[in-house]
Amino acid sequence: MNAVVLDGFLDETGQDALAALRDALGSARFEVEVIALRTKTIAPCVGCFGCWVKTPGECVIDDEGRDVARSLARADVIVYFTPVTFGGVSSELKKALDRIIPNISPFFAKVQGETHHQKRYAQPPSLIGLGVLPTPDREAEALFKTLVEDNATNLRSPRTAVAVVALDRPDTFKEILHGLVEAVTR
Amino acid sequence: MTQRQALLLVGSPRGIENSTSGRLGGQLLDALERRGLKTQRLHVHEAVRSSQGLETALCAVGTADLMVLSLPLYVDSFPAPVIAFLEHVARSGTSRERAQFALIIQCGFPEKEQNETAIAIARRFASEVGWTWLGAIALGALETYGGSVNDAFDRAAEALAKGEPVPYVPVRTTMPAWLYRLGGNFMWWRVAKKNGTAGRLRAKPYAD
Repeated sequence: MNAVVLDGFLDETGQDALAALRDALGSARFEVEVIALRTKTIAPCVGCFGCWVKTPGECVIDDEGRDVARSLARADVIVYFTPVTFGGVSSELKKALDRIIPNISPFFAKVQGETHHQKRYAQPPSLIGLGVLPTPDREAEALFKTLVEDNATNLRSPRTAVAVVALDRPDTFKEILHGLVEAVTR
Repeated sequence: MTQRQALLLVGSPRGIENSTSGRLGGQLLDALERRGLKTQRLHVHEAVRSSQGLETALCAVGTADLMVLSLPLYVDSFPAPVIAFLEHVARSGTSRERAQFALIIQCGFPEKEQNETAIAIARRFASEVGWTWLGAIALGALETYGGSVNDAFDRAAEALAKGEPVPYVPVRTTMPAWLYRLGGNFMWWRVAKKNGTAGRLRAKPYAD
């Protein structure tokens, strides 16, 4: 199995948590690809829907956003690794997420009582959300979990696991991250 | 008494003139202008493209009493350039004390409830930068046109002009969700047919 980690940090902060994440995924025998989005040229989505109706399944913008979408389409597990930003994800992570809509179908379906999109690929990846905060913050954590779960519904992920770690509590990383990986593999 | 200033931040890639977000935000801003507020419009995507654009935008934020962010829902949240702009605002600390903040958000699904997480993120942002949260007008795909929307905007403008929270105004849907899905699916097929791609709409270019 392979896991693609989308590193949405704007700088090198959070590398200890990333190392612990690599360990946890490695222990579960994942092949791990980490994409440091801050090093990638990914233009903002222009909202043209060309990826659905002009070049179905591929964004019309030819940049590294396409490479990220390709990696995610082939992943067994996607990991959001991001500073929790206003309870959500960072702009660096979001620039990639806005460009992966070619990986879902334009056609609508009723999912859990709401309108969402149909799958493009038969087996969409499971989703792990790993948020990082300087210190524990329950409100931000709850909001981040809700956002990742919403995303999982839209991506049609079969399994989802979300956690937030606090940088001032590195002693907790190992247990939390192993728990996350276990939740999408059991 | 100093004239209150309202700043419209349009967070759609399609800009101020050519987007639903720009049109809806403009409708609210016009209503605020009629109530005596001085107004200004900014396109967020344009602002974050250059350091000069960013500086101008942060300056506008620094002088406004009321910020109205109008945008489409993107993957349950805001478009990336909007998040980048909000990160800049938070880092710069340039806004007025007790500045006020409201949101106009519309999603491409018939259920306006799908905007709730993004609204919570906006509220959290306001709290982190010390702005007063005045609420949101949330619209689904079916609700962007029609009389009840106009009523919601008029009542929102009336409240915001006085510095009060956006009141809840029920916005009527005009089509059941199942019919929206059916019509939407046909629309995608029709557009693709024009592009000569109808037979490839379910293509899997990244399959192993």
